[in-house]
Amino acid sequence: MAAGKTGGLKRYHDLNGWLFIAPSVLLIAIFLVYPIFRSLYLSFFSGKGMMMKFAGFGNVVRLWNDPVFIQALINTVTFFVVQVPIMILLALMLASVLNNEKLKFIGFFRTAIFLPCVASLVAYSVLFKSMFSVDGVVNQALMTIGLIGSPIGWLTEPFWAKVLVILAITWRWTGYNMIFYLAALQNIDKSIYEAAKIDGVPAWARFVYITIPMLKPVILFTTIISTIGTIQLFDEVYNLTEGKGGPANSTITLSLYIYNLTFRFMPSFGYAATISYVIVIMVALLSFLQFYAARDRS
Amino acid sequence: MNKMILSRLAAGLFAGASLLASTAAFAGEVTVWCWDPNFNVAIMKEAAARYTAKHPDTTFNIVDFAKADVEQKLQTGLSSGTTDALPDIVLIEDYGAQKYLQSFPGAFAELSSKIDFSGFAPYKVELMTLDGAVYGMPFDSGVTGLYYRKDYLEQAGFKPADMQDLTWDRFIEIGKDVEAKTGKKMLGLDINDAGFIRILMQSAGGWYFDKDGNLSIADNPALKAALETTQKILQANIYKPSAGWTEWVNAFTSGDVATVTTGVWITGTVKAQADQSGKWGIAPIPKLNVEGAGHASNLGGSSWYVTAGSAEKDEAIDFLNEVYAKDVDFYQKILADRGAVGSLLAARTGAAYSEADAFFGGEKVWQSFSDWLAKVPAVNYGVFTNEVDTAVTAHLPSLGQGANIDEVLKAIDSQAQGQIQ
Repeated sequence: MAAGKTGGLKRYHDLNGWLFIAPSVLLIAIFLVYPIFRSLYLSFFSGKGMMMKFAGFGNVVRLWNDPVFIQALINTVTFFVVQVPIMILLALMLASVLNNEKLKFIGFFRTAIFLPCVASLVAYSVLFKSMFSVDGVVNQALMTIGLIGSPIGWLTEPFWAKVLVILAITWRWTGYNMIFYLAALQNIDKSIYEAAKIDGVPAWARFVYITIPMLKPVILFTTIISTIGTIQLFDEVYNLTEGKGGPANSTITLSLYIYNLTFRFMPSFGYAATISYVIVIMVALLSFLQFYAARDRS
Repeated sequence: MNKMILSRLAAGLFAGASLLASTAAFAGEVTVWCWDPNFNVAIMKEAAARYTAKHPDTTFNIVDFAKADVEQKLQTGLSSGTTDALPDIVLIEDYGAQKYLQSFPGAFAELSSKIDFSGFAPYKVELMTLDGAVYGMPFDSGVTGLYYRKDYLEQAGFKPADMQDLTWDRFIEIGKDVEAKTGKKMLGLDINDAGFIRILMQSAGGWYFDKDGNLSIADNPALKAALETTQKILQANIYKPSAGWTEWVNAFTSGDVATVTTGVWITGTVKAQADQSGKWGIAPIPKLNVEGAGHASNLGGSSWYVTAGSAEKDEAIDFLNEVYAKDVDFYQKILADRGAVGSLLAARTGAAYSEADAFFGGEKVWQSFSDWLAKVPAVNYGVFTNEVDTAVTAHLPSLGQGANIDEVLKAIDSQAQGQIQ
């Protein structure tokens, strides 16, 4: 009798709980879970537009023989291998400088460095494009101060186009990462620094041996977020190169290639879905690696 | 959005009600997507005004946004299968026509039974035909010409007569002289755009594909000659590099370059610089040094398509038929106002085509373009022009560094092979 009664109550609570979360579960299922499985299913098909037929692992084979995919993969890896460390270091240094209470106009500097990341992606890309055009402001400035003799083809030479993309994303996201570090720095007990100072530890050593280890969880978090963001890089490249990833495919990224395969070229949904799974696997692997490298060894 | 749906619903109800009263009258709103406010948008507005004058119950909603956005929005709508997001009439560039027709069968209304296509330039009708059925309304042609600054060339010692019947080699020599004497570059070149290559290639009767639509890269004399010429131009450094369309246009509107080689639809943009009136001349494009090469080619050009799922389908077709297939006077107006060379053959005999243009120093430019149009070699655009274009642009920078043409062709071929499956 008693057991039956509690069972009923339990079922009542269970049912209520499920009812409460049902709307969000339903939404997640429709807009998240279903597309994930649907794109996996799609990746086994190939064909023109809606005329698709089963291809098995044909799309995976196609990946190996597709020079544009290889190029996009190399570009994407280049972008995050070069850009993420530069940005993280820059953000760390800026954060520790701006954490110094004695600095004047500290609020102004903090805002100024954070501001780029609230700028509209499209607007700043368009601005960069005009600033870095052959007879744009940047080339003129560099020539006036005598750093370069002839204008640099920021958007017309493959190497400089890559540099420009890295410059653009660094400009936009450094301040964003800096905010995380600033917040985390507030949480480090000042007495640790005091003790170190009394023991005569120089400033650089305080930074390397106290600040960085204390910030490790935040550094790990921002590195993963930045890596994922860079692997999915799309907006900047799309706007800087009019959706082409040029010159000579030097700035094409995986996401841009997916977009082109779906919307610009003969629609090849199956193949595009396959490449999106390449991104998923890359993100998963890299996040795992970063967690592994930064694990607690105690 | 909701408001739009509501108003559409209301319009639909009214349409239904009025259908009961009289079955012949149309009373819907026809939505049109197109991309150039100075060109096809303005022309569509003119066409709409002509139609509403006779059919006051029909209203038009002409939506103007960038060409890439039109294409991508269309492709998204077609892929999703929801037709109510699509317009009733959409403008599609000729290179992409077969792609849409073949990958989204049934998405566009078949027009062969309702419109007489015998009066249009055959190459235009051909490219919108699939399995014997015609799906579009031919619109403008992209016949090419060489626009040049008479004042710059005169400064360098060349008369208009010197610009006729050029070869590209001669063009490059002139370019060197022009730069030496005026400091101006000969042309603007966007290294991320294969349009220039396509003009050259088609002028010699070639394309990325053969007549049957098979990829033809490695053994394509027209493409090879086009790449060789481009390499010479890059190495002679007579060009102003530009990143993207806006910069490219800016190169000639600002007077930085001496010539422009492109489709006739640029005329409106050239003429928009009123202070340059009288300074421009027009010549046939230079010739490639290869068998079958001529002075006539084509770049772009587009046509109107009616979506099959449209609620105002019949109205839209009737509109296109009445204005674009029959109204010769309309073609005179859009030629004079916008520089649009239509593909309705009957329109060519109209008065506007033989008029002299003061902006071009009194030359009969339309007559010239009309003559060249008849000589444009017909080619098969296939369904993968975008893909091969990307493969070509990927290898353009290496040309400037002196890469071997045969190896470049091989590299383009292998990239294109990977793209088109």
